[in-house]
Amino acid sequence: MLKLEGLTKSFGDIVAVDGVSFSVQEGEIFGLLGENGAGKTTTLRMLATMLKPTSGTAKLGKYDVVADPEQVRGSIGILFGGETGLYDRLTVAENIRYFGELNDMPSADIKRRTDQLSAAFGMQDYIHRRAGKLSKGMKQKAAFARSIIHDPGIMLFDEPTSGLDVGAMREVHAFILQCKAEGKTIVLSSHIMNEVEKLCDRIGIIHQGRLVDVGSIGELRAKYGGDSLEEIFVKLAEVVR
Amino acid sequence: MSLRHMWIVFRKEARDLARDRRTLVSSLLIPLIMYPVLFGLMSMGMDKLDRDIQQNITVALAPSSDTGEVRDFLQNRVFLGRESIRLVEINVDPVEAIKKGEARFVLEVAADFEEKIATHQPVAISILYDDSDTMAAGSVGIVNQAIAAYGQSLVVERLNELGISTDILQPVRIDYASIPDDQKSGNHMILMMLPMMMTIMIAVGGIPAATDLVAGEKERSTFEPLLTTKPGRMSLLFGKYLTVTLFSLVSVVAQFAGMTMGILVNPGYLSMNGSSPGLGGFSVPLGALVLVILITVALGMVFAGLQLAISTYSRSFKEAQTYLSFLIFVAMIPAYATMMMQPQDLQAVMFAVPVLNAIAALKMVLGGAISNTNLLIALFSSMIYVIITLVFSARLFRRENVLFRS
Ligand SMILES: Nc1ncnc2c1ncn2[C@@H]1O[C@H](COP(=O)(O)OP(=O)(O)OP(=O)(O)O)[C@@H](O)[C@H]1O
Ligand SMILES: [Mg+2]
Repeated sequence: MLKLEGLTKSFGDIVAVDGVSFSVQEGEIFGLLGENGAGKTTTLRMLATMLKPTSGTAKLGKYDVVADPEQVRGSIGILFGGETGLYDRLTVAENIRYFGELNDMPSADIKRRTDQLSAAFGMQDYIHRRAGKLSKGMKQKAAFARSIIHDPGIMLFDEPTSGLDVGAMREVHAFILQCKAEGKTIVLSSHIMNEVEKLCDRIGIIHQGRLVDVGSIGELRAKYGGDSLEEIFVKLAEVVR
Repeated sequence: MSLRHMWIVFRKEARDLARDRRTLVSSLLIPLIMYPVLFGLMSMGMDKLDRDIQQNITVALAPSSDTGEVRDFLQNRVFLGRESIRLVEINVDPVEAIKKGEARFVLEVAADFEEKIATHQPVAISILYDDSDTMAAGSVGIVNQAIAAYGQSLVVERLNELGISTDILQPVRIDYASIPDDQKSGNHMILMMLPMMMTIMIAVGGIPAATDLVAGEKERSTFEPLLTTKPGRMSLLFGKYLTVTLFSLVSVVAQFAGMTMGILVNPGYLSMNGSSPGLGGFSVPLGALVLVILITVALGMVFAGLQLAISTYSRSFKEAQTYLSFLIFVAMIPAYATMMMQPQDLQAVMFAVPVLNAIAALKMVLGGAISNTNLLIALFSSMIYVIITLVFSARLFRRENVLFRS
């Protein structure tokens, strides 16, 4: 369960996120769709407690991002687009262990779960090799494993496929669906219509910091009479302007 | 803030950096080999110069006095038994010969020298040489001394003929005695330079670590995932802070080890006059030693705090490196300014000024005249500076617009 209430963030005069409210059910994938600069990353950073909201708040499970940031961080996993964010001079296992330790896991649990994830992602051959020496695909799997080492109930994905080729993109999509199958609550930001259509149960369209509409793809289609999400998106953007 | 989280971060960062070649080279290897190499090169250079000065001293005769008699006089009487002085022939004008390096000295000896000696009159010998030439300037004394010794032997001969003791030439004799050298070893060059070198090394030692730990993390985009893990910002910061402090102290220890090796390579370098290292009797009271070590560690922490703050503020690795190299000046200015200052010239106020206080404390302890009050002032003020720099970097580390700049 995840619930945002009037979440707002200003940087000086710029209101990057403006009173965003929505909620996501357990096991649901919520897509945050918006153009460049719409406020997706800022929203997700507030959910991950990296940024403090200017006003409003959000609850992740029973924890509040403003009141209990530490517990919030302990219950989320993130995968932010672009680089995998692994430490090149540490092995895959060490990278995973570091995040397990930081999230207060007992050593034995880390070991057990690392073995399990290593088998699940087929990383046995390179689990003890330095991350810097691995191929992009290997790194990506290591980053997946690291993000869920502590079995978080909530996953945040910020444009997780940006800059990836088709194969890698499919891997990411499979991973997101696997998280959903495990019952995790997921927020995914994207500006790629297809991705959102393929993965998300519900979609929030964010434009210039405001959430302009929320609904399932079916609902949005019915409401705006459009065919593709792209058309709906363009119409909505025009309405706001 | 959680000590356990701090420790996890510290352990990971230390291991991570221990695998980084650049950090190892600049925090460990360079401090370790700097002195042995420096001392070794210096002693090699000195030895060569010494040999050149001492040996192969070429002496020629000016055309006016280039006769068989003069040649024989110099060879078999004046320079007799002086292996290092060699008579050479020159075919050009004396000045030219010296410039070309055919001879280091050109001598002119009065033609009537035999008669002068027989009649107890001074023999005029003039020496032409280039005193801007290091080797000639260095060996002119040897030639001079050879001639003077010959003169002296004539004096002894003549006095003996007259049946007079040579004591008549020495109406007063002076004996010098120096007071015993307990603890005070002020004239040792190393003791004057050590505080300077150590301070600069402390300022430099943590830089690779500090650059890597925040600016580097930002640049490699490992920082955001880290910020979404459970530990609070301050636990992350302190873990990193301890790592930077560790590396600046590692470089100090490496430097000491290197210096010890350097001294073994060239003991003469220890003292100004190139003789008697005499560190054997050097000792520091335990209490003062502990204080000065604490002060040194505190200085390392002050720099670690500043370096992390700068690394946090920087947008990129390059930017951090640029800013951090300016920080070295902060250490260099007081270090050079006080380099030649003797321990007895230290003033109490220096023990309260940042950076300078550590230099002053080191100088004082090495110099021997220890004031525990001043050491305590230095320690106390250092601790205040540690806190100030820590608070400063903590505030910066909390600032969103600094952490998420792009
Ligand atoms: N740290 C910051 N300081 C100042 N302004 C910021 C900061 N972070 C984001 N902004 C501004 O806030 C707005 C929203 O940015 P945000 O990164 O959230 O958008 P986004 O939807 O993620 O866009 P993109 O698709 O480009 O990633 C933009 O106008 C951006 O310039
Ligand atoms: Mg973004």
